[in-house]
Amino acid sequence: MFAIGLSHYLTVAAILFTLGVAGIFLNRKNVIIIMMSVELMLLAVNLNLVAFSSFLGDLVGQVFAMFVLTVAAAEAAIGLAIVVVFFRNRGTIAVEEISQLKG
Amino acid sequence: MDAWLLEYLPILIFLGIAIAISVIAVGASWLVARQKPDTEKGSAYECGFDAFGDARSKFDVRFYLVAILFIIFDLEVAFLFPWAVALGKIGLFGFWSMMVFLGVLTIGFIYEWRKGALEWE
Amino acid sequence: MTQTFAFSSLVPALPELFLTVAALALLMLGVFRKEDGCRQSTLLAIIAMAIALVLTSQLGGSVSYAFGGGEAGLFVMDGFGAFTKAMVLLGSAFTLGMSGTFLEREKIGRFEYPVLVLFATVGMMIMISANDFMSLYLGLELQSLSLYVLAAYHRDNLKATEAGVKYFVLGALASGMLLYGASLLYGFVGTTSFDGLAKVFGAEHAVRPSLGVIIGMVFVLAGLAFKISAVPFHMWAPDVYEGAPTPVTAFFAVAPKIAALALFTRVITGPFGDLAGEWRQVVIFLALASMFLGAFAAIGQTNIKRLMAYSSIGHVGFALVGIAANSVLGIQGLLIYLAIYLFMNTGVFAIILSMRQKGRLVEGIDDLAGLGKTHPAMAFVMMVLMFSMAGIPPLAGFWGKLYVFLAAVESGLMALAILGVLSSVVSAYYYLRIIKVMYFDEALEPFDRQTDRPMRLVMGLSALVVLVFTFIPGPLLVGAKAAAAVLFPAAAG
Repeated sequence: MFAIGLSHYLTVAAILFTLGVAGIFLNRKNVIIIMMSVELMLLAVNLNLVAFSSFLGDLVGQVFAMFVLTVAAAEAAIGLAIVVVFFRNRGTIAVEEISQLKG
Repeated sequence: MDAWLLEYLPILIFLGIAIAISVIAVGASWLVARQKPDTEKGSAYECGFDAFGDARSKFDVRFYLVAILFIIFDLEVAFLFPWAVALGKIGLFGFWSMMVFLGVLTIGFIYEWRKGALEWE
Repeated sequence: MTQTFAFSSLVPALPELFLTVAALALLMLGVFRKEDGCRQSTLLAIIAMAIALVLTSQLGGSVSYAFGGGEAGLFVMDGFGAFTKAMVLLGSAFTLGMSGTFLEREKIGRFEYPVLVLFATVGMMIMISANDFMSLYLGLELQSLSLYVLAAYHRDNLKATEAGVKYFVLGALASGMLLYGASLLYGFVGTTSFDGLAKVFGAEHAVRPSLGVIIGMVFVLAGLAFKISAVPFHMWAPDVYEGAPTPVTAFFAVAPKIAALALFTRVITGPFGDLAGEWRQVVIFLALASMFLGAFAAIGQTNIKRLMAYSSIGHVGFALVGIAANSVLGIQGLLIYLAIYLFMNTGVFAIILSMRQKGRLVEGIDDLAGLGKTHPAMAFVMMVLMFSMAGIPPLAGFWGKLYVFLAAVESGLMALAILGVLSSVVSAYYYLRIIKVMYFDEALEPFDRQTDRPMRLVMGLSALVVLVFTFIPGPLLVGAKAAAAVLFPAAAG
């Protein structure tokens, strides 16, 4: 049998982070999905920080994770607010429709 | 049993207790209380929504506003837990730091209140 | 460990604390007043910035730390910080002063605008003074969140809200990358403190940094490159510049850019100072790509705000040349470049804000046609600024470029300097095209004569600085040199 070690956490975090980045670039449907991808990235970072913190026996990582958590909430709130005003003007939040500005 | 499986024993115990308590709670009320169901009592109450409908239906944007404001304040309160645990060690400085933080939060709250974000109508 | 706390330990952060309190007070003042006093709030915000500027100028004398013991403090105040913070405050105050009239005419003058600008400025100042990845992240996010809202400030305008969405998505992506890099650095080194990282990397028996450290550093640099809009992370800038309301664009082009470049400098010379071999290639690539893309992509533009976006990408490239040099001379060149950039850009945006025909906003380069005849003074200022941006001697812009290129040559980056000069020649084409349009094309419709006083003041001041710098360069050179020397304590000692 095996024990769950630091590298497992790091691998999961790396996969989550990659999924988040891929979600932002490959997603063609909906801005809400992009926002979920951003949250996924930040969660991957948190996982990293907490895993390292426990591995190093150092509290700084957990404190950092707390800050990331709260800032992520504020970021999500502002992002949703901007998406709502965009929806009011455009009538849709499909990613292809965000195309007024080009060049 | 393997040592690493043993690490998960608390979770198993937790699950067992949780199931036991919920069974006791529901079972006791079924045994002890008087049952007089009607349609209003029998339907699940879910903030005015149909409990078993399509989750993708449109709903009022005002729910979103309240939810977002809640999320912000809810997560900022996450700072209170480590603060409360460590209050004995961080002394007056720690206490007043949190008071300043709460003061800033209150200013945000006053702003949203005055702006009418909390009015439903 | 019960700590005794002395208020004197907060002194290094006094300007930031003051601005924060001022912003909160303005928020309360605005929300409790019946009528909507955008103009009054703007004035108060500018006064607050002026006071913060005075406080900042009193603090830069020595290196001091706040929020934590000694060198592990989260916050550092030094000569470099004072110099760049002064630029940020000036940029914010100028652009805020120019925006009042515009906002009122577009009927979006609300008291939240100056408050948001103040919060963004506080964020920038915290970024500049960051001495730990935690304070870096918090400052960066305070700035970014305010800027996202400002970009979408004209909330009934489709373009502005679209700019907000794009800025938000790419900005959040950049923050995520930066954080991921910071978490890797934390894990592989064991600290998030800049001084701690520098000690580990600079230790005498430092082994070659592990792969995790290198990956972490590259992620951090990529995240920061997003914020300064260096190529290949620039794609948000043209869209956001074009879509955002013009005063907001003016603000974006000046203060956050200076702050982000200052932060980039601090991170690269502080914790990563001894990893120069690893990051230099990256910075040289960013500089070259930014200079050339800025020069070539701007040629085909017809919208002046979009043109200014590509122009600012090019300027970031030139500024990065100074960082790539990694010497006191290079950072001095960077600071001089940024100071001149500050005045050139506020001047140009003052003119763009005055571009109105029959009360309607215009943003096309062709709309400048015949400005030389209809508004000779404005056209003259624009001409001076354009010549300066193109780097034509003896105007200030020439000296800015000269100093960064000299620093690059001194550090043995001859090829980079030569390519930089070449891209500068290419970019001269589109700056000169604007002058040609102003003086040699027939005017179709003159602009409304309604430039207000702050606007004329900014125009005059920027033209004056650009013209006079050649004759009195002393104060700026000395100040920039002292500020740059702070980042290289080994070289000075």
